[in-house]
Amino acid sequence: MAWIETLINGVLLGGLYALFGLGLALVFGVMRMVNLAHGEFVVLAAYFAVFLAAQFPQVSPLLLLVPVALAAFGTGYLLQRLLLNRAVATDDPLTPVLVTFGIAVVLRNLMVELFGADPRALDGGALATAGFELGGLRIGWYPVLVLGLAVLAFGALQWLLRHSRFGLIVRATSDHREIVRTMGVRPRHVYGVVMGLSLAFASVAGLLLALRTSFTPFSGVERLLGAFEVVIIGGMGSFWGALAGGIALGVAQLVGQRLDSNAGALYAHLLFFIVLMVRPNGIAGQRA
Amino acid sequence: MSLLEVRDLCSHYGDLQALFDLSLDVGEGEATALIGANGAGKSTLIRAIAGLGRRSRGTVRFDGQAIEAEPAERIARRGIALVPEGRMLFASLTVEENLRMGALCGRAGHWNLATVYALFPILREFRHRPATRLSGGQQQMVSIGRALMANPRLMLCDEISLGLAPVVIAQIYRAFGDIQAQGTALLVVEQDVTRACRIAQRVYCLLKGRVTLAGRASDFSAAQIANAYFGH
Repeated sequence: MAWIETLINGVLLGGLYALFGLGLALVFGVMRMVNLAHGEFVVLAAYFAVFLAAQFPQVSPLLLLVPVALAAFGTGYLLQRLLLNRAVATDDPLTPVLVTFGIAVVLRNLMVELFGADPRALDGGALATAGFELGGLRIGWYPVLVLGLAVLAFGALQWLLRHSRFGLIVRATSDHREIVRTMGVRPRHVYGVVMGLSLAFASVAGLLLALRTSFTPFSGVERLLGAFEVVIIGGMGSFWGALAGGIALGVAQLVGQRLDSNAGALYAHLLFFIVLMVRPNGIAGQRA
Repeated sequence: MSLLEVRDLCSHYGDLQALFDLSLDVGEGEATALIGANGAGKSTLIRAIAGLGRRSRGTVRFDGQAIEAEPAERIARRGIALVPEGRMLFASLTVEENLRMGALCGRAGHWNLATVYALFPILREFRHRPATRLSGGQQQMVSIGRALMANPRLMLCDEISLGLAPVVIAQIYRAFGDIQAQGTALLVVEQDVTRACRIAQRVYCLLKGRVTLAGRASDFSAAQIANAYFGH
Protein backbone atom coordinates (compact mmCIF):
# COMPACT_ATOMS: atom_id res chain seq x y z
CA MET A 1 0.00 0.00 0.00
CA ALA A 2 2.77 2.40 0.93
CA TRP A 3 4.40 1.71 -2.46
CA ILE A 4 1.26 2.62 -4.36
CA GLU A 5 1.13 5.84 -2.37
CA THR A 6 4.73 6.56 -3.34
CA LEU A 7 3.95 5.92 -6.99
CA ILE A 8 0.91 8.19 -6.96
CA ASN A 9 2.78 10.98 -5.20
CA GLY A 10 5.63 10.54 -7.66
CA VAL A 11 3.25 11.03 -10.58
CA LEU A 12 1.88 14.14 -8.91
CA LEU A 13 5.34 15.57 -8.23
CA GLY A 14 6.14 14.83 -11.87
CA GLY A 15 3.55 17.40 -12.89
CA LEU A 16 5.73 20.09 -11.35
CA TYR A 17 8.87 18.87 -13.11
CA ALA A 18 6.94 18.76 -16.37
CA LEU A 19 5.98 22.41 -15.95
CA PHE A 20 9.68 23.28 -15.59
CA GLY A 21 10.44 21.56 -18.85
CA LEU A 22 7.43 22.85 -20.81
CA GLY A 23 8.75 26.38 -21.34
CA LEU A 24 12.20 25.12 -22.20
CA ALA A 25 10.78 22.63 -24.73
CA LEU A 26 8.58 25.33 -26.30
CA VAL A 27 11.48 27.74 -26.84
CA PHE A 28 13.73 25.00 -28.17
CA GLY A 29 11.02 23.63 -30.44
CA VAL A 30 10.18 26.99 -32.02
CA MET A 31 13.47 28.90 -32.03
CA ARG A 32 16.03 26.08 -31.74
CA MET A 33 17.41 28.09 -28.85
CA VAL A 34 18.46 26.87 -25.41
CA ASN A 35 17.61 29.26 -22.59
CA LEU A 36 20.19 28.69 -19.84
CA ALA A 37 18.55 31.35 -17.66
CA HIS A 38 15.29 29.35 -17.47
CA GLY A 39 16.00 28.23 -13.89
CA GLU A 40 16.78 31.77 -12.71
CA PHE A 41 13.46 32.98 -14.09
CA VAL A 42 11.71 30.18 -12.18
CA VAL A 43 13.36 31.43 -8.96
CA LEU A 44 12.73 35.10 -9.80
CA ALA A 45 9.02 34.33 -10.18
CA ALA A 46 9.09 32.67 -6.76
CA TYR A 47 10.63 35.81 -5.20
CA PHE A 48 8.02 37.95 -6.90
CA ALA A 49 5.30 35.69 -5.47
CA VAL A 50 6.83 35.99 -1.97
CA PHE A 51 6.90 39.77 -2.38
CA LEU A 52 3.25 39.87 -3.47
CA ALA A 53 2.22 37.53 -0.65
CA ALA A 54 3.83 39.91 1.85
CA GLN A 55 1.96 42.88 0.36
CA PHE A 56 -1.39 41.10 0.24
CA PRO A 57 -1.35 38.56 3.08
CA GLN A 58 -5.11 37.93 2.89
CA VAL A 59 -4.93 36.75 -0.76
CA SER A 60 -4.60 32.99 -1.37
CA PRO A 61 -1.19 32.17 -2.88
CA LEU A 62 -2.93 30.39 -5.75
CA LEU A 63 -4.55 33.64 -6.88
CA LEU A 64 -1.05 35.11 -7.11
CA LEU A 65 -0.49 32.81 -10.10
CA VAL A 66 -2.27 35.34 -12.31
CA PRO A 67 -0.14 38.46 -11.67
CA VAL A 68 3.05 36.39 -11.51
CA ALA A 69 2.34 34.71 -14.86
CA LEU A 70 1.41 38.04 -16.49
CA ALA A 71 4.59 39.71 -15.24
CA ALA A 72 6.63 36.75 -16.49
CA PHE A 73 4.97 36.96 -19.89
CA GLY A 74 5.84 40.64 -20.19
CA THR A 75 9.41 40.04 -19.05
CA GLY A 76 9.84 37.23 -21.57
CA TYR A 77 8.42 39.28 -24.43
CA LEU A 78 10.66 42.27 -23.72
CA LEU A 79 13.74 40.11 -23.13
CA GLN A 80 13.25 38.44 -26.50
CA ARG A 81 12.52 41.66 -28.40
CA LEU A 82 15.33 43.71 -26.85
CA LEU A 83 18.08 41.14 -26.53
CA LEU A 84 17.55 37.52 -27.52
CA ASN A 85 16.26 38.15 -31.06
CA ARG A 86 19.65 39.56 -31.91
CA ALA A 87 21.31 36.43 -30.56
CA VAL A 88 18.94 34.13 -32.50
CA ALA A 89 19.50 36.13 -35.70
CA THR A 90 23.21 35.19 -35.73
CA ASP A 91 22.17 31.64 -36.75
CA ASP A 92 24.91 30.29 -34.49
CA PRO A 93 23.37 28.11 -31.75
CA LEU A 94 26.20 29.03 -29.39
CA THR A 95 25.32 32.77 -29.28
CA PRO A 96 22.00 32.43 -27.42
CA VAL A 97 23.58 29.86 -25.12
CA LEU A 98 26.30 32.33 -24.11
CA VAL A 99 23.89 35.26 -23.83
CA THR A 100 21.43 33.38 -21.63
CA PHE A 101 24.31 32.01 -19.55
CA GLY A 102 25.32 35.62 -18.92
CA ILE A 103 21.75 36.57 -18.05
CA ALA A 104 21.65 33.69 -15.56
CA VAL A 105 24.81 34.91 -13.79
CA VAL A 106 23.54 38.49 -13.66
CA LEU A 107 20.10 37.47 -12.37
CA ARG A 108 21.56 35.17 -9.70
CA ASN A 109 23.75 37.93 -8.28
CA LEU A 110 21.03 40.52 -8.61
CA MET A 111 18.73 38.31 -6.54
CA VAL A 112 21.42 37.89 -3.84
CA GLU A 113 21.81 41.67 -3.78
CA LEU A 114 18.07 42.31 -3.58
CA PHE A 115 16.77 39.46 -1.44
CA GLY A 116 19.84 38.08 0.37
CA ALA A 117 21.00 34.48 0.34
CA ASP A 118 18.68 33.16 3.08
CA PRO A 119 16.24 30.43 2.06
CA ARG A 120 12.67 31.66 1.51
CA ALA A 121 9.40 29.85 1.04
CA LEU A 122 5.82 30.73 0.23
CA ASP A 123 3.34 29.87 2.98
CA GLY A 124 0.60 27.79 1.44
CA GLY A 125 -1.46 27.77 4.65
CA ALA A 126 -3.90 24.89 4.97
CA LEU A 127 -3.43 23.93 1.31
CA ALA A 128 0.13 22.72 1.82
CA THR A 129 -0.88 20.01 4.30
CA ALA A 130 -4.51 19.24 3.44
CA GLY A 131 -5.25 15.89 1.87
CA PHE A 132 -7.84 13.19 1.45
CA GLU A 133 -8.16 9.44 1.87
CA LEU A 134 -8.82 7.35 -1.21
CA GLY A 135 -9.22 3.59 -0.70
CA GLY A 136 -6.95 3.72 2.30
CA LEU A 137 -4.37 5.90 0.52
CA ARG A 138 -3.41 9.33 1.77
CA ILE A 139 -3.15 11.87 -1.05
CA GLY A 140 -2.39 15.58 -0.65
CA TRP A 141 -4.53 18.23 -2.33
CA TYR A 142 -1.50 20.28 -3.26
CA PRO A 143 0.15 17.67 -5.53
CA VAL A 144 -3.21 16.84 -7.14
CA LEU A 145 -3.64 20.53 -7.88
CA VAL A 146 -0.13 20.77 -9.31
CA LEU A 147 -0.65 17.83 -11.65
CA GLY A 148 -4.02 19.24 -12.66
CA LEU A 149 -2.46 22.59 -13.52
CA ALA A 150 0.35 20.88 -15.42
CA VAL A 151 -2.05 18.82 -17.53
CA LEU A 152 -4.14 21.95 -18.12
CA ALA A 153 -1.07 23.93 -19.20
CA PHE A 154 0.08 21.15 -21.56
CA GLY A 155 -3.40 20.73 -23.01
CA ALA A 156 -3.85 24.47 -23.51
CA LEU A 157 -0.48 24.83 -25.21
CA GLN A 158 -1.12 21.84 -27.43
CA TRP A 159 -4.50 23.21 -28.44
CA LEU A 160 -3.04 26.66 -29.07
CA LEU A 161 -0.31 25.29 -31.33
CA ARG A 162 -2.50 22.79 -33.22
CA HIS A 163 -5.75 24.66 -33.72
CA SER A 164 -5.34 28.41 -33.35
CA ARG A 165 -4.25 30.98 -35.89
CA PHE A 166 -1.39 31.91 -33.57
CA GLY A 167 -0.27 28.27 -33.47
CA LEU A 168 -0.29 28.13 -37.28
CA ILE A 169 1.97 31.18 -37.39
CA VAL A 170 4.30 29.77 -34.71
CA ARG A 171 4.72 26.43 -36.51
CA ALA A 172 5.29 28.12 -39.87
CA THR A 173 7.82 30.53 -38.34
CA SER A 174 9.65 27.62 -36.78
CA ASP A 175 9.92 26.02 -40.27
CA HIS A 176 11.03 29.09 -42.30
CA ARG A 177 11.47 32.25 -40.33
CA GLU A 178 12.39 34.30 -43.40
CA ILE A 179 9.64 33.16 -45.78
CA VAL A 180 6.83 33.91 -43.28
CA ARG A 181 7.78 37.58 -43.56
CA THR A 182 6.54 37.56 -47.18
CA MET A 183 3.14 36.56 -45.74
CA GLY A 184 3.03 39.57 -43.44
CA VAL A 185 4.27 37.75 -40.29
CA ARG A 186 6.79 39.49 -38.02
CA PRO A 187 9.01 36.68 -36.69
CA ARG A 188 10.53 38.86 -33.97
CA HIS A 189 7.10 39.49 -32.52
CA VAL A 190 6.23 35.77 -32.73
CA TYR A 191 9.46 34.88 -30.91
CA GLY A 192 8.65 37.48 -28.26
CA VAL A 193 5.25 35.93 -27.58
CA VAL A 194 6.77 32.43 -27.48
CA MET A 195 9.40 33.51 -24.93
CA GLY A 196 6.64 35.25 -22.95
CA LEU A 197 4.64 32.01 -22.84
CA SER A 198 7.75 30.04 -21.89
CA LEU A 199 8.50 32.28 -18.91
CA ALA A 200 4.82 32.35 -17.92
CA PHE A 201 4.87 28.55 -17.62
CA ALA A 202 8.20 28.75 -15.76
CA SER A 203 6.74 31.28 -13.33
CA VAL A 204 3.73 29.06 -12.57
CA ALA A 205 6.15 26.22 -11.82
CA GLY A 206 8.29 28.55 -9.69
CA LEU A 207 5.36 29.65 -7.57
CA LEU A 208 4.05 26.12 -7.09
CA LEU A 209 7.49 24.88 -6.07
CA ALA A 210 7.89 27.76 -3.61
CA LEU A 211 4.80 26.40 -1.82
CA ARG A 212 6.51 23.05 -1.37
CA THR A 213 10.22 23.73 -0.84
CA SER A 214 12.34 26.66 0.22
CA PHE A 215 14.57 28.35 -2.33
CA THR A 216 17.58 30.67 -2.51
CA PRO A 217 18.96 32.81 -5.38
CA PHE A 218 21.12 29.78 -6.22
CA SER A 219 18.24 27.33 -6.72
CA GLY A 220 17.98 28.15 -10.41
CA VAL A 221 20.75 25.78 -11.48
CA GLU A 222 18.93 22.84 -9.92
CA ARG A 223 15.67 23.89 -11.58
CA LEU A 224 17.38 24.18 -14.95
CA LEU A 225 18.90 20.73 -14.54
CA GLY A 226 15.45 19.31 -13.78
CA ALA A 227 13.96 21.11 -16.77
CA PHE A 228 16.68 19.80 -19.06
CA GLU A 229 16.22 16.24 -17.85
CA VAL A 230 12.48 16.50 -18.47
CA VAL A 231 12.99 17.79 -22.00
CA ILE A 232 15.63 15.22 -22.89
CA ILE A 233 13.78 12.24 -21.40
CA GLY A 234 10.66 13.38 -23.26
CA GLY A 235 12.39 14.07 -26.56
CA MET A 236 13.55 17.54 -27.60
CA GLY A 237 10.65 19.72 -28.63
CA SER A 238 7.92 17.16 -27.82
CA PHE A 239 5.34 18.50 -25.35
CA TRP A 240 3.57 15.33 -24.31
CA GLY A 241 6.99 13.68 -24.12
CA ALA A 242 7.99 16.39 -21.64
CA LEU A 243 4.93 15.65 -19.50
CA ALA A 244 5.80 11.94 -19.51
CA GLY A 245 9.43 12.82 -18.77
CA GLY A 246 8.42 14.95 -15.80
CA ILE A 247 6.28 12.16 -14.37
CA ALA A 248 9.08 9.61 -14.84
CA LEU A 249 11.47 11.89 -12.95
CA GLY A 250 8.97 12.50 -10.13
CA VAL A 251 8.34 8.77 -9.66
CA ALA A 252 12.09 7.99 -9.76
CA GLN A 253 12.79 10.60 -7.12
CA LEU A 254 10.13 9.45 -4.66
CA VAL A 255 10.86 5.75 -5.17
CA GLY A 256 14.54 6.59 -4.62
CA GLN A 257 13.65 8.45 -1.45
CA ARG A 258 11.88 5.39 -0.08
CA LEU A 259 14.86 3.17 -0.80
CA ASP A 260 17.40 5.64 0.47
CA SER A 261 16.00 8.64 2.27
CA ASN A 262 18.98 10.90 1.57
CA ALA A 263 19.40 10.32 -2.12
CA GLY A 264 16.04 10.69 -3.91
CA ALA A 265 17.40 13.11 -6.47
CA LEU A 266 20.23 10.70 -7.30
CA TYR A 267 17.71 8.17 -8.61
CA ALA A 268 16.08 10.79 -10.79
CA HIS A 269 19.46 11.67 -12.29
CA LEU A 270 20.24 7.96 -12.74
CA LEU A 271 16.99 7.48 -14.63
CA PHE A 272 17.94 10.42 -16.84
CA PHE A 273 21.35 8.87 -17.45
CA ILE A 274 19.86 5.49 -18.38
CA VAL A 275 17.34 7.08 -20.80
CA LEU A 276 20.17 9.05 -22.38
CA MET A 277 22.11 5.80 -22.91
CA VAL A 278 19.21 3.69 -24.17
CA ARG A 279 17.09 6.25 -26.06
CA PRO A 280 19.21 9.34 -26.70
CA ASN A 281 16.33 10.97 -28.59
CA GLY A 282 13.91 10.58 -25.68
CA ILE A 283 10.63 8.74 -25.21
CA ALA A 284 8.78 10.60 -27.95
CA GLY A 285 11.78 11.22 -30.21
CA GLN A 286 12.71 9.15 -33.24
CA ARG A 287 15.26 6.42 -32.72
CA ALA A 288 18.74 7.44 -33.73
CA MET B 1 3.09 54.41 -64.89
CA SER B 2 4.08 50.79 -64.36
CA LEU B 3 2.89 48.74 -61.39
CA LEU B 4 6.49 48.00 -60.43
CA GLU B 5 9.36 50.33 -61.26
CA VAL B 6 12.90 49.36 -60.31
CA ARG B 7 15.45 52.14 -60.91
CA ASP B 8 19.25 51.93 -60.63
CA LEU B 9 19.15 49.14 -58.06
CA CYS B 10 22.47 47.95 -56.64
CA SER B 11 22.77 45.01 -54.31
CA HIS B 12 25.65 43.37 -52.50
CA TYR B 13 26.40 39.95 -51.06
CA GLY B 14 29.04 40.84 -48.51
CA ASP B 15 31.82 42.48 -50.54
CA LEU B 16 30.48 41.06 -53.79
CA GLN B 17 28.19 43.24 -55.86
CA ALA B 18 25.31 41.22 -57.34
CA LEU B 19 23.25 43.92 -59.10
CA PHE B 20 24.59 46.97 -60.95
CA ASP B 21 22.25 49.95 -61.52
CA LEU B 22 19.49 47.66 -62.58
CA SER B 23 16.21 49.07 -63.90
CA LEU B 24 13.08 47.12 -64.73
CA ASP B 25 9.33 47.63 -65.18
CA VAL B 26 6.35 45.37 -64.73
CA GLY B 27 3.04 46.66 -66.02
CA GLU B 28 -0.34 46.18 -64.33
CA GLY B 29 -1.63 42.64 -65.01
CA GLU B 30 1.33 41.92 -67.28
CA ALA B 31 3.56 38.83 -67.31
CA THR B 32 7.26 39.61 -67.37
CA ALA B 33 9.99 36.99 -67.66
CA LEU B 34 13.45 37.27 -66.18
CA ILE B 35 16.00 35.08 -67.91
CA GLY B 36 19.73 34.66 -67.51
CA ALA B 37 22.41 32.18 -66.53
CA ASN B 38 23.12 31.02 -62.99
CA GLY B 39 24.59 33.82 -60.91
CA ALA B 40 23.18 36.55 -63.16
CA GLY B 41 21.39 38.10 -60.17
CA LYS B 42 17.82 36.99 -60.91
CA SER B 43 17.12 35.62 -57.44
CA THR B 44 18.87 38.59 -55.80
CA LEU B 45 16.55 40.94 -57.69
CA ILE B 46 13.43 38.95 -56.76
CA ARG B 47 14.45 38.88 -53.08
CA ALA B 48 15.24 42.59 -53.13
CA ILE B 49 11.79 43.42 -54.50
CA ALA B 50 10.15 41.23 -51.84
CA GLY B 51 12.16 43.04 -49.16
CA LEU B 52 14.25 40.03 -48.14
CA GLY B 53 17.67 40.98 -49.45
CA ARG B 54 19.78 43.94 -48.52
CA ARG B 55 19.34 46.77 -50.99
CA SER B 56 22.23 49.15 -50.99
CA ARG B 57 21.14 51.78 -53.50
CA GLY B 58 18.39 52.64 -55.96
CA THR B 59 14.61 52.82 -55.80
CA VAL B 60 11.78 50.31 -56.03
CA ARG B 61 8.34 51.79 -56.59
CA PHE B 62 5.17 49.75 -56.32
CA ASP B 63 1.97 51.42 -57.44
CA GLY B 64 3.80 54.75 -57.24
CA GLN B 65 4.99 54.25 -53.64
CA ALA B 66 8.67 53.89 -52.74
CA ILE B 67 9.03 50.52 -51.01
CA GLU B 68 12.78 49.95 -51.11
CA ALA B 69 13.21 50.80 -47.42
CA GLU B 70 10.19 48.84 -46.19
CA PRO B 71 10.42 45.49 -44.37
CA ALA B 72 9.16 42.37 -46.17
CA GLU B 73 6.11 42.20 -43.88
CA ARG B 74 4.80 45.55 -45.08
CA ILE B 75 5.62 44.89 -48.72
CA ALA B 76 3.56 41.68 -48.46
CA ARG B 77 0.54 43.66 -47.24
CA ARG B 78 0.89 46.03 -50.19
CA GLY B 79 0.17 43.08 -52.50
CA ILE B 80 3.48 41.54 -53.54
CA ALA B 81 3.57 37.77 -53.04
CA LEU B 82 6.54 35.47 -53.49
CA VAL B 83 6.76 31.91 -54.82
CA PRO B 84 10.29 31.29 -53.53
CA GLU B 85 13.01 29.21 -55.12
CA GLY B 86 12.93 25.70 -53.66
CA ARG B 87 9.24 26.20 -52.76
CA MET B 88 9.97 26.64 -49.02
CA LEU B 89 6.76 24.95 -47.89
CA PHE B 90 6.15 24.68 -44.16
CA ALA B 91 6.94 21.06 -43.32
CA SER B 92 5.03 21.05 -40.01
CA LEU B 93 1.86 22.24 -41.74
CA THR B 94 -0.67 20.42 -43.89
CA VAL B 95 -1.40 21.50 -47.46
CA GLU B 96 -4.43 23.49 -46.34
CA GLU B 97 -2.56 25.11 -43.45
CA ASN B 98 0.18 26.16 -45.87
CA LEU B 99 -2.45 27.79 -48.06
CA ARG B 100 -4.02 29.53 -45.06
CA MET B 101 -0.64 31.07 -44.20
CA GLY B 102 -0.83 32.91 -47.51
CA ALA B 103 -4.10 34.57 -46.53
CA LEU B 104 -2.65 36.14 -43.34
CA CYS B 105 -2.18 39.54 -44.98
CA GLY B 106 -5.95 39.76 -45.09
CA ARG B 107 -6.23 41.09 -48.65
CA ALA B 108 -9.64 40.48 -50.21
CA GLY B 109 -10.10 39.26 -53.77
CA HIS B 110 -10.86 36.36 -56.05
CA TRP B 111 -8.49 33.86 -54.48
CA ASN B 112 -9.49 31.78 -51.47
CA LEU B 113 -9.31 28.08 -50.55
CA ALA B 114 -12.17 27.18 -52.90
CA THR B 115 -10.77 29.00 -55.95
CA VAL B 116 -7.23 27.70 -55.35
CA TYR B 117 -8.62 24.14 -55.14
CA ALA B 118 -10.51 24.78 -58.36
CA LEU B 119 -7.25 25.88 -60.00
CA PHE B 120 -5.31 22.85 -58.69
CA PRO B 121 -7.94 20.13 -57.96
CA ILE B 122 -5.32 17.63 -56.78
CA LEU B 123 -4.60 19.83 -53.74
CA ARG B 124 -8.13 19.42 -52.42
CA GLU B 125 -7.64 15.66 -52.39
CA PHE B 126 -4.39 15.99 -50.38
CA ARG B 127 -5.40 18.96 -48.26
CA HIS B 128 -4.87 17.20 -44.91
CA ARG B 129 -1.48 15.74 -45.81
CA PRO B 130 1.80 17.28 -44.64
CA ALA B 131 2.75 19.59 -47.52
CA THR B 132 6.26 18.21 -47.97
CA ARG B 133 4.95 14.64 -48.52
CA LEU B 134 3.59 15.62 -51.93
CA SER B 135 5.38 15.18 -55.26
CA GLY B 136 7.56 18.04 -56.50
CA GLY B 137 4.95 19.34 -58.92
CA GLN B 138 2.18 19.21 -56.32
CA GLN B 139 4.42 21.03 -53.85
CA GLN B 140 4.96 23.74 -56.44
CA MET B 141 1.18 24.05 -56.79
CA VAL B 142 0.93 24.51 -53.01
CA SER B 143 3.60 27.19 -53.14
CA ILE B 144 1.80 29.04 -55.95
CA GLY B 145 -1.55 28.59 -54.21
CA ARG B 146 -0.07 29.96 -50.98
CA ALA B 147 1.08 33.10 -52.81
CA LEU B 148 -2.31 33.48 -54.54
CA MET B 149 -4.16 33.34 -51.20
CA ALA B 150 -2.75 36.81 -50.53
CA ASN B 151 -4.63 38.08 -53.60
CA PRO B 152 -1.46 39.80 -54.78
CA ARG B 153 -1.31 42.50 -57.44
CA LEU B 154 2.16 41.22 -58.29
CA MET B 155 3.36 37.64 -57.90
CA LEU B 156 7.11 36.97 -57.99
CA CYS B 157 7.93 33.41 -59.14
CA ASP B 158 11.50 32.22 -58.63
CA GLU B 159 12.54 29.15 -60.67
CA ILE B 160 9.22 27.36 -60.40
CA SER B 161 10.03 24.76 -63.05
CA LEU B 162 13.34 23.69 -61.51
CA GLY B 163 13.58 19.90 -61.23
CA LEU B 164 10.07 19.20 -62.52
CA ALA B 165 8.99 16.94 -65.39
CA PRO B 166 7.96 18.78 -68.62
CA VAL B 167 4.35 17.53 -68.35
CA VAL B 168 4.08 18.98 -64.84
CA ILE B 169 5.69 22.25 -65.89
CA ALA B 170 3.19 22.65 -68.73
CA GLN B 171 0.34 21.96 -66.31
CA ILE B 172 1.59 24.62 -63.88
CA TYR B 173 2.11 27.25 -66.57
CA ARG B 174 -1.40 26.63 -67.90
CA ALA B 175 -2.65 28.01 -64.56
CA PHE B 176 -0.83 31.29 -65.23
CA GLY B 177 -3.50 32.30 -67.75
CA ASP B 178 -6.16 32.06 -65.01
CA ILE B 179 -3.95 33.96 -62.59
CA GLN B 180 -3.36 36.82 -65.03
CA ALA B 181 -7.06 36.87 -65.90
CA GLN B 182 -7.74 37.86 -62.28
CA GLY B 183 -5.54 40.92 -62.71
CA THR B 184 -2.37 39.69 -61.04
CA ALA B 185 0.88 40.77 -62.68
CA LEU B 186 3.69 38.23 -62.84
CA LEU B 187 7.46 38.49 -62.66
CA VAL B 188 8.77 35.03 -63.51
CA VAL B 189 12.34 33.77 -63.28
CA GLU B 190 12.72 31.00 -65.83
CA GLN B 191 15.77 29.12 -67.11
CA ASP B 192 14.03 27.89 -70.26
CA VAL B 193 14.20 30.84 -72.67
CA THR B 194 11.65 29.48 -75.17
CA ARG B 195 9.09 28.89 -72.45
CA ALA B 196 9.78 32.30 -70.89
CA CYS B 197 9.15 34.05 -74.22
CA ARG B 198 5.93 32.08 -74.72
CA ILE B 199 4.31 32.98 -71.41
CA ALA B 200 5.57 36.54 -71.01
CA GLN B 201 4.67 39.75 -72.76
CA ARG B 202 7.97 41.32 -71.79
CA VAL B 203 11.41 39.78 -71.28
CA TYR B 204 14.47 40.95 -69.40
CA CYS B 205 17.77 39.15 -69.75
CA LEU B 206 20.30 39.52 -66.95
CA LEU B 207 24.03 38.92 -67.17
CA LYS B 208 26.36 39.40 -64.22
CA GLY B 209 23.98 41.76 -62.47
CA ARG B 210 23.15 43.97 -65.49
CA VAL B 211 20.25 44.03 -67.96
CA THR B 212 21.58 42.95 -71.35
CA LEU B 213 18.25 42.80 -73.18
CA ALA B 214 14.80 44.20 -72.48
CA GLY B 215 11.62 44.45 -74.51
CA ARG B 216 8.70 42.58 -76.03
CA ALA B 217 9.37 38.87 -76.22
CA SER B 218 8.29 38.68 -79.86
CA ASP B 219 10.78 41.36 -80.96
CA PHE B 220 13.92 39.28 -80.48
CA SER B 221 15.51 36.54 -82.56
CA ALA B 222 16.98 33.45 -80.92
CA ALA B 223 20.47 34.70 -81.79
CA GLN B 224 19.89 38.06 -80.09
CA ILE B 225 18.67 36.35 -76.93
CA ALA B 226 21.58 33.91 -76.96
CA ASN B 227 23.99 36.86 -77.19
CA ALA B 228 22.35 38.62 -74.26
CA TYR B 229 22.24 35.38 -72.29
CA PHE B 230 25.85 34.36 -72.70
CA GLY B 231 27.35 37.78 -73.32
CA HIS B 232 29.23 37.20 -76.58
